[in-house]
Amino acid sequence: MATVTLSNVVKRFGAFEVVHGANIDIKDGEFVVFVGPSGCGKSTLLRMIAGLEDISGGEIAIGGKLVNDVEPADRGIAMVFQSYALYPHMSVEQNLSFGLRMTGNPKADTDRRVKRAAEILRISELMDRRPKKLSGGQRQRVAIGRAIVREPQVFLFDEPLSNLDAELRVQMRVEISRLHKELGATMIYVTHDQTEAMTLADRIVVLRAGHIEQIGRPLDLYDDPDNLFVAGFVGSPKMNFIKAQIVGRDAHGVVVELAGQEKTRITQPLAGAAPEAGSKVIVGVRPEHFGSAGEGDTDLVVAIDVVEHLGGTSFLYARTAHGEDVVIQRDAAKVPTTSEVTVSIRKSYLFDEKGLRLR
Amino acid sequence: MRNRNATAYRFLAPYLLIFSVFWVWPIISSFMISFQATRTVPWRFAPGFNWGRLIGDPAFFNALKNTLLILVIQVPVMIALAMVMAVLLNSPLLKARGLYRFAFFAPVVVGEVAYSAVFRLMFSLDFGIVNKLLNSIGLPKIDWFSNVTPAMALIMIAVTWRWAGYNAIILLAGMQSIPEDVYEAATLDRVSKLKQFFHITLPLLKPVIVFCLVLSIIGTMQLFTEPFLITERGGPGGGTETLGLLLYRQGFRSLNFGYASAVAYTMAALAIAITLVQLWLTREKQ
Ligand SMILES: Nc1ncnc2c1ncn2[C@@H]1O[C@H](COP(=O)(O)OP(=O)(O)OP(=O)(O)O)[C@@H](O)[C@H]1O
Ligand SMILES: [Mg+2]
Repeated sequence: MATVTLSNVVKRFGAFEVVHGANIDIKDGEFVVFVGPSGCGKSTLLRMIAGLEDISGGEIAIGGKLVNDVEPADRGIAMVFQSYALYPHMSVEQNLSFGLRMTGNPKADTDRRVKRAAEILRISELMDRRPKKLSGGQRQRVAIGRAIVREPQVFLFDEPLSNLDAELRVQMRVEISRLHKELGATMIYVTHDQTEAMTLADRIVVLRAGHIEQIGRPLDLYDDPDNLFVAGFVGSPKMNFIKAQIVGRDAHGVVVELAGQEKTRITQPLAGAAPEAGSKVIVGVRPEHFGSAGEGDTDLVVAIDVVEHLGGTSFLYARTAHGEDVVIQRDAAKVPTTSEVTVSIRKSYLFDEKGLRLR
Repeated sequence: MRNRNATAYRFLAPYLLIFSVFWVWPIISSFMISFQATRTVPWRFAPGFNWGRLIGDPAFFNALKNTLLILVIQVPVMIALAMVMAVLLNSPLLKARGLYRFAFFAPVVVGEVAYSAVFRLMFSLDFGIVNKLLNSIGLPKIDWFSNVTPAMALIMIAVTWRWAGYNAIILLAGMQSIPEDVYEAATLDRVSKLKQFFHITLPLLKPVIVFCLVLSIIGTMQLFTEPFLITERGGPGGGTETLGLLLYRQGFRSLNFGYASAVAYTMAALAIAITLVQLWLTREKQ
């Protein structure tokens, strides 16, 4: 088992820099998820850890040992590819054992490892089939099996579930969690799906355009985002952002007024210095933090466009008087039948104009 | 529905007409001619006349032997060479890739007469660059055109030169359709580049290799241009006469169409038989 440390890791393709100095400390046995929108550099980071991509700057250490110039096969890692990358002309058994056979591992040991991996992933009865004759989920298991057989210190997963349908994805997510508990290995997992990130991770690294926006435990990112991007990325449906303006300060904190809605004021406790009165800010409210009229700081009248019933809860898609779209979560029993509804803001986050959290 | 089919056939008619007259009819006609004695006027039906001659004709067996010899040596060498060229073309280190791809493909589109003339010049006894090169590294000159073994070698070299690049391009296309991440997975599995080639590239390329082999076998079975133009009608003394050349000689020089048709059908049957054996040997085993 091993730690993985990235210090000021930079990646350039020609003159084009795609990772701008990443610092990440991954603990032994930790499950870390890199999450971010498409093209933000998640795969590139992972492939640099694997050694499939050269490092343009900075250092990567695995198990305390600098690996910048270490061959991929000698880094003690195993990788599961998004496309599975199974050997199409080999049976499942051959796929699992290929690497060990090619490197002259003793046959008895190879057989033992293959058998164990097959048992862990419950693919023992598929051993003679070719990948073509497997379902997506089964292929994914074989791909993971091939990683297990290597008995690596660190597992790397690059969007392993993105080719599966929704139901299978949930099932495999649970399997991967179980695998992590069972093997206790360090795992680094790349996805652009924030739900996967939230459910799997010990810690999440949120990336955007080659920058690390925030690193933290799932609930910390959810409850205490550092900036507008993380606030908007984590949580589904996403946090509502409403333009506002600082109007002053009182005993409880800073007072903001929602744009275009005089008298709709919110007081936010603030430890740091408040921006001066008149500064533009953004108020973030999660859908579940809208209460009934009178429950929160202030009341707000919104016009309902669409109601989505999910069973236990419902989502109201609505607009403020100022024309900003908001999503409001309600118990199914409490969905209003009127076209307008008054809601209160029970909890909110404040961001400055650059998108940094004010707290 | 029937109406629409009729319209479609009317559109196809010009092609079907030409196809029937110049393809289907000759195939049927030559089959029938092969059973006729065509040295007499009028031709008469005599099944044993051509086929009987064929199985006892030394010229036929000479041509068959030459053709099969070229097939057995030239085709594997050429495919192996094409494979090496494809691997080099596929290397990420290669600069000016497009230029090489063009250069490898160019021999196919060069006119046959021009290419044969150049080969005759290059291999000429006293002025040829090949003999100059041999001399310069201390080897004796070779008389490529008057001895059978060098003449056969020359045919094989020429055919290989003309078609290796073509096959390399086909193999290259096959290689490029193998996903990169399979190799990355193998690299992580500590499998060396050489082992990757033998255990991943070759097996995955098998259908493409078989395709190239079949094309080459069919091509070589019909080999005509090189022995006709380079070694001058199968010279020396029939030493490089192929089945294609025998057919030409019988049909268009002796005007013995019956026998030429029998030779043609033998060539086609051999090509089919060899290809079937080939496909059977390399079939996907389950
Ligand atoms: N080989 C390459 N050459 C040039 N640019 C590249 C190369 N590989 C990736 N990039 C660029 O680097 C950036 C990050 O790519 P990367 O594949 O890491 O994104 P990602 O976060 O994994 O996205 P996705 O979720 O779509 O997989 C992108 O802008 C991409 O265009
Ligand atoms: Mg990616």
